[in-house]
Amino acid sequence: MIELIGGWLAAVIIVWIYSFVYKDNLLYRLAEHLFVGTAAGYSIALSLDSLNRTAFGQMAKGMEYWHLIIPIILGLTFFFKYSKKYYWIARYGVGVNVAVGAALALRTAPMANIIRQINAAILPLWVADDPLKTFNNWLMVLITLGGLTYFIFTFFPKTEGKAGPVGIVYKALVTIGIYGMMVGFGYLFANTIMTRVGFLIGIILQYLQPRFEATLVAIILAIIAIAFAVMKKK
Amino acid sequence: MAKEEKRRPFGMAQVIYTLLIISIVIPLLNPVGLPIGISQTTKDVYNYIENTLPAGSPVLIDLYYEMAARAELEPQAAAVVKHLFEKNCKLVFVSTITYGPIVFELLKSTAPDLFEGKQYGTDYVFLGYIAGNEPAVASLAQSIRGTIAVDNYGTPIANLTMMANIDKAEDFKLVFIVSSGTDTFGWYVRQWYTTHNVPLLFGALSVIGPSIKPYVDAKQAIGMLTGQRSAAEYETLVGRKGLGLASMDAQSFAHALILVFIIIGNILFLATRSKPKPKEVKKK
Repeated sequence: MIELIGGWLAAVIIVWIYSFVYKDNLLYRLAEHLFVGTAAGYSIALSLDSLNRTAFGQMAKGMEYWHLIIPIILGLTFFFKYSKKYYWIARYGVGVNVAVGAALALRTAPMANIIRQINAAILPLWVADDPLKTFNNWLMVLITLGGLTYFIFTFFPKTEGKAGPVGIVYKALVTIGIYGMMVGFGYLFANTIMTRVGFLIGIILQYLQPRFEATLVAIILAIIAIAFAVMKKK
Repeated sequence: MAKEEKRRPFGMAQVIYTLLIISIVIPLLNPVGLPIGISQTTKDVYNYIENTLPAGSPVLIDLYYEMAARAELEPQAAAVVKHLFEKNCKLVFVSTITYGPIVFELLKSTAPDLFEGKQYGTDYVFLGYIAGNEPAVASLAQSIRGTIAVDNYGTPIANLTMMANIDKAEDFKLVFIVSSGTDTFGWYVRQWYTTHNVPLLFGALSVIGPSIKPYVDAKQAIGMLTGQRSAAEYETLVGRKGLGLASMDAQSFAHALILVFIIIGNILFLATRSKPKPKEVKKK
């Protein structure tokens, strides 16, 4: 029974949220507030559960895990942000949090995000019996160099009038970089459309189609709410 | 013109939304069954699991997505889970986002065929939501038992049969990250692949694909699946008709419609630009 009501509620709220694309209305705002409130409440409950399982539950195992009291205290210091007098105490918690995050990332980031990526960009510019691969590798290398050149802001070789060889190469690379980035942005835009359309399809298939009656009722109510909003404005 | 548009209750944008919804709903009600080719990227992932991953291997699966992203990511997760279960892999589900417990239960309820005949604690476990983002991921790589005391349902990790020999990153043969965010992939590349050399497989939204492809090209991941398209391809390979395949006709129709809009938009833009600009009236 709870699942059935949940399914109806999901369908109704989705329709009301989507009604915003036609016009802001009362039911949209009701659905929006319901969503924000529920999501916040759910996140708090889950975070407390996670704290219980990762910290208090571990500490209950024995003295071996009692050092976890330190991060718990540091976490609690965050709440001093709400005090005008003791807000500075929160800085200790924030400081340790940032330091741990930075240290963990820095431990491996140079290898994972810089060296391996540079390695991957060093490609053979001639692949025997595979002209397509050769062409792709040339494109990859030129666009990488072009993109990097475009973002050099410290010096600008002369590219107009009697430009020297450095200026000509610079201009060529920057042009390749711009076109490469445009293609990249186009690819990204196309993927964005695919994702958004995918979300809509999924919502119809997962939530609306199985609860057709609730969807229909929600659509009728949304139309009435939009009509009211239009009339109110007039 | 702008003022005129503002006064109308339904402008051009609303007409486009309506046409888009129609273009999606019609093929969902009457599937055309357009043919689907399988890309090399998806074949690579399938071949890795089929031929390289040893049968019965422990695999970690991070379900890092929220309700909205279910449509793109759940079909991928379901298809890959089916393949992994067919190879008798031991699956350790975890989530580093609060929605994890919901999406895991939804995965189980919407795809019950996957878990049929599989025993909780012996074939798969769900560790639940673990807060902390990258530090939490790093901690899991060090020791699962050191990170959490109990699974999502309150059972002590030590009481789960499957977890007897599974505790740290080196015990896993593969990590499958199904994520609607970009950062998650970076966490695992840094904390699981670079540090512990555990092979990674990415399951991402289409929009995230371009951002994480450099990791795959640099061989920091064995491959990636992106969006419903990859899900449909994988469903074809594993022989499971799911949401991915069901949505492909609608995707194609919607994309065709958007293409038409882009072409019309460009033609109108060029036509407007080619018109001579009205001369400015000089003030006397």
